[in-house]
Amino acid sequence: MKLARKLLLIDRRIIFLLVLAGAVIPILFPIGLAVQVSPPVRAVFQRVEALRPGQTLLLSFDYGPSDGPELDPMADAILRHCHKRGVKVVGLSLFPLGGVDMAFARLRQLATELGARDGEDWVNLGYKDGGQAAMKAMGDNLALVFPVDANGVPVGEIPLMRAVRNYNDVGLAVSLATSVLGEWWINLVNAQFGVDVAVGTTAVSAPKYYAFMEAKQAVGVIGGMKGASEYEELVAEAYPDLAGLSRTATVGMDVQSIVHLVILFFILFGNAMFLATRRTRQEA
Amino acid sequence: MQLQLPGIGEWMAAFFTLCIFSFLYRDNVLYRLAESIFAGVSFGYYIGLARLNTLEPNLFRPLFSDFAGHWPLLIPFALGLILYLRYVPKAAWISNWALAIYIGYYIGVNLIQRLHGEVLPQAKGTMLSLQVPPGQLLGNLVIILGVLTVLIYFFFSSPQRGPLKPAARIGVYYLMISFGASFGYTVMGRISLLIGRLTFVIHEWARPLVRAVFGG
Repeated sequence: MKLARKLLLIDRRIIFLLVLAGAVIPILFPIGLAVQVSPPVRAVFQRVEALRPGQTLLLSFDYGPSDGPELDPMADAILRHCHKRGVKVVGLSLFPLGGVDMAFARLRQLATELGARDGEDWVNLGYKDGGQAAMKAMGDNLALVFPVDANGVPVGEIPLMRAVRNYNDVGLAVSLATSVLGEWWINLVNAQFGVDVAVGTTAVSAPKYYAFMEAKQAVGVIGGMKGASEYEELVAEAYPDLAGLSRTATVGMDVQSIVHLVILFFILFGNAMFLATRRTRQEA
Repeated sequence: MQLQLPGIGEWMAAFFTLCIFSFLYRDNVLYRLAESIFAGVSFGYYIGLARLNTLEPNLFRPLFSDFAGHWPLLIPFALGLILYLRYVPKAAWISNWALAIYIGYYIGVNLIQRLHGEVLPQAKGTMLSLQVPPGQLLGNLVIILGVLTVLIYFFFSSPQRGPLKPAARIGVYYLMISFGASFGYTVMGRISLLIGRLTFVIHEWARPLVRAVFGG
């Protein structure tokens, strides 16, 4: 029992090191574990698939760099999907700390990978303060809220924006959200303007969005890196020519699986040692 | 083939990432330095962003290009400036006017938004039919039971005795399952952040550095 007591007092930094090893090894040597697609992610994919070529998808980049590992792969997969379907993408951001730059990074990545054209296939309208006030005003006229795009070009001069006046001209709104912004897209934009809304969110926020989906307020939910890997899988299945492009969430899920095993081991091990020492104390 | 060292951006990002990770060993001056720089840079970024993305296109440009058509914009502009009177003790009370309009607007928006967009649809979402196929019936029963028992648990106007006691107990189990799911997702989210940082450090900084120094 001395050993059990010693192990219970193990320095937490040793556990950190083991978690680090569990994370680094699969990054260096990917395993390629299979991805199982869940219904909430499939629902988003099918809704995008149902958009007609030329229709518009509003993609709100409501996150900053700290949420990039989870939400960047979602953005990439959705943008690739839209481009293959011929769906136009209007990007914007209502999240102050980095949203507009996340939008630029992802949209330019799409331009580099698949040759999508700024102003014709996609546009980045930039960031706007105000959250709910901006969302409500966009219901009347997008150009009132975003008179120019993120490059300073008046929206009237952007070919893609000539067909998009307000939410009536949007086939689907997708919010890639941290914080409360995803909820606002649902309980304000969907509820008051009747726009179909899907949310891609960080794992921390994901549970609350399933309630919105169950109540049919959201067409689907992409939750965390797992959800992103599922969307990557669906896009690769449907469009084999895109399968060769980077799939960072799928690679990331290898790491998730290994690290979860390490954490599970320590939870079970810690409890087993605790129970063993407690029994000894009771006997004494 | 010429191999390039990581750029200054990669070096800085890797340095600050490692500074933050150093906290896992123990609190230290590098961690505090990175934390303070991050806070300062974030604030500066936000000011620049608000000026470039909101104030210039939505306020200054319309006012300077067509003042007659956009003069009402002076009203919110003035209200925004009035907020800063908080720093002038004798005139600080005037800032309450702007604050009152701001609070009033958002209370109005939130009240309707929450009731119309959340409370009513969510309540409707729990009013489920029991005349459905057996597979769906089980799911509907689980939802109905969960809603009722959790509501009973949070009903504090009478003591939880008699039939209310086991119902509240079931409500507690529902809550524990919900917290467990949230915690599991939280762990997954935090590991995702670790993956993001490690992927950057390995693929965009360490690997190019090793290749440039040692070749290969």
